[in-house]
Amino acid sequence: MSILADKNSRVLIQGITGTQASFHVKRSLETGTNVVAGTSPNHGGEEHLGIPVFDNVYEATRKFSFDTSVLFVPAMSVKNAVREAVEAEIKLIISIAAGVPVHDMLEIRNILKGSKTLMIGPNTPGVITPQEARLGIFPDNIHQKGCIGIISRSSTLTYEAVLQTNAAGLGQSTVIGLGDDLIIGTDFRELIRRFMEDDETKAVVLVGKADNSYEQQAAEYYASLPHKKPVIAFIAGEALPFGHTMGYAADIITRGRITVSDKKKIMRNAGIYVADQMTDVSKILSELNL
Amino acid sequence: MNVHEYQAKKVLAQYGIAIPRGGIAYTPSEAKRVAQKLSSRGPWMLKAQIQAGARATGHFIDHDAGGKGGIRQVTQISNIPYEASQMLNNRLVTEQTDNKGRLVTKVYVETCEDAKHLFYAGMVIDSSIPSIALLISDNTDKNIVQLAQQHKEKILRLDLQYNSGISDEQIYQILDFLSLDKTYLRSFHDFFGKLLFTFINLDAQMIEINPVGIMPEKKLIALDAKINFDDNALFRHPDIVLMHEDFEEETRHRKAKRCGFQYHEFSGNIGCIVNGGGLALEAMDIIKSKGFETACSLNVKGGVDKDKIAAGIKIIMTNPRIEGIVINIIGGFLRCNLIADGILEAYQDVGLIVPLVVRFEGTNKDEAKSILEHSGLQVMFAENIEQAIEKLLAKMEVNN
Repeated sequence: MSILADKNSRVLIQGITGTQASFHVKRSLETGTNVVAGTSPNHGGEEHLGIPVFDNVYEATRKFSFDTSVLFVPAMSVKNAVREAVEAEIKLIISIAAGVPVHDMLEIRNILKGSKTLMIGPNTPGVITPQEARLGIFPDNIHQKGCIGIISRSSTLTYEAVLQTNAAGLGQSTVIGLGDDLIIGTDFRELIRRFMEDDETKAVVLVGKADNSYEQQAAEYYASLPHKKPVIAFIAGEALPFGHTMGYAADIITRGRITVSDKKKIMRNAGIYVADQMTDVSKILSELNL
Repeated sequence: MNVHEYQAKKVLAQYGIAIPRGGIAYTPSEAKRVAQKLSSRGPWMLKAQIQAGARATGHFIDHDAGGKGGIRQVTQISNIPYEASQMLNNRLVTEQTDNKGRLVTKVYVETCEDAKHLFYAGMVIDSSIPSIALLISDNTDKNIVQLAQQHKEKILRLDLQYNSGISDEQIYQILDFLSLDKTYLRSFHDFFGKLLFTFINLDAQMIEINPVGIMPEKKLIALDAKINFDDNALFRHPDIVLMHEDFEEETRHRKAKRCGFQYHEFSGNIGCIVNGGGLALEAMDIIKSKGFETACSLNVKGGVDKDKIAAGIKIIMTNPRIEGIVINIIGGFLRCNLIADGILEAYQDVGLIVPLVVRFEGTNKDEAKSILEHSGLQVMFAENIEQAIEKLLAKMEVNN
């Protein structure tokens, strides 16, 4: 088993007719992803890339059932697209677009609260289970089926982490980009939980960043687990000048300053292996003799 | 997006928050006319309009300004033109600007309000919870970021829920914290209710009012104002977009923004071109671990044409501080060959006199590499970012 996505996932693509969606859905279909239908306003009844298109999620669910929806809709439409998918009780939403307004994310988190839906993103490369389901915009030909779960807060560093697991000869069970934005649908904890229960996953690689406190939350959660698999973390942003971004300043104002080295210390204390360089990730993985 | 104090105050006033009466002036004589129109007698406040804080304790660097800062109380109407002339067309340096400061092109003239008690109020999004955090402090002298690090106990923090507003209990907490009695409940409730409404309605990321003044009749007044709007939500606020003054941003940032890219400057001498915020951070960390500093980093993204890529790369190539460039691209939607074409176009336009190391991975990486190899451009390749930076530093050392 893998987590979140496999070859049996029944996938809806919201906003299937856009340029980026077309480019990537075509590649996903080529790798065997089970894309069932798509939506695009005023394109209902058409076919796109051989996939039936509906005007909205409601129309699509009258004909098919879905467990996953990938949102290729523009940032300004993400809030409504999430609302549609949540109403249709789709279990997993993956939202790709960057630039979703922060206040929309505050509302989206309210919509998700108490729903049956898990949201990954926004501003994420998506979720991929190699050779089974490619849900997003991952680069070609870098993924190998294997036993390492990856959860990353940085889109492009996700790919670096993938290459590290390849270098260790271990490959990936499932790769998840949490999203580069400050407010995201799901943080590390829920995914760590799922990886710990997943038979196929032998260890997990976390990629974190300077801002926010998602890494501390992950460390506390991991420390509290009775049974655990090894977790290796890499955190970027040690050299970032203090208070550089609005989000970072807001973190400091609301919680006091937590530096990348503080985060690393918290993670080490929780029993997580911390890689100082990305290239150390493959070394640590190799030494674990998984 | 940031706006000037006078613009932020106008926005707050539209939402029913009290502000001092004031007017904007571009010349010393206009400042005098504005002052006379506001009130027949002083004192007046004269405030330099730049989008950075700590103006009062700042200093001017272009021409003599009497050794005073960017916020002044003026008692005699006859002194207004003189004081204004010291600020106008002068660069103001504060602890929140760099050492080049910001050019003052206008001053805001206000009536001087007789507030008996001052406090700090800030609203900011705490993304981890997530919530809107309301911050209150009695300390109006210190920058809130410093205060948060040194004297956390001097800040009261309350979490406001997106759709439930601010409760009486929370107002009582604020009053307690400021040692005020319950008779202030109504005016505080009114003020913070309006502030939260403004924050939500206008997609603000941060509103700071430092200070809020308490007037004799218990009414609250915003004596200063700073608002940062979410750039991603500006499509909903065309009236706010009109307030934007892009000369407040440095030219390179502006150029990058026009291409749809993010550009940041730091204190070093190495330029980075990457496609992703995480890659930018990783490169900076490695450069620092080798004892060097990043000069600037450009974060390009897919879905744009070759010309935009070239324009972006030129921003880095023409930065005079640059002594070496490292490019790290992991292609997905952004194809590596597009970057290679962009590098060549930029090189043909502006030349390249510093060493360049490129690492391509992902979509069309081989094609991209071959484009550069056959171009005659002096370029080194690397397998990963660490190797790329090591090669670059070695080459820079040889050049020196």
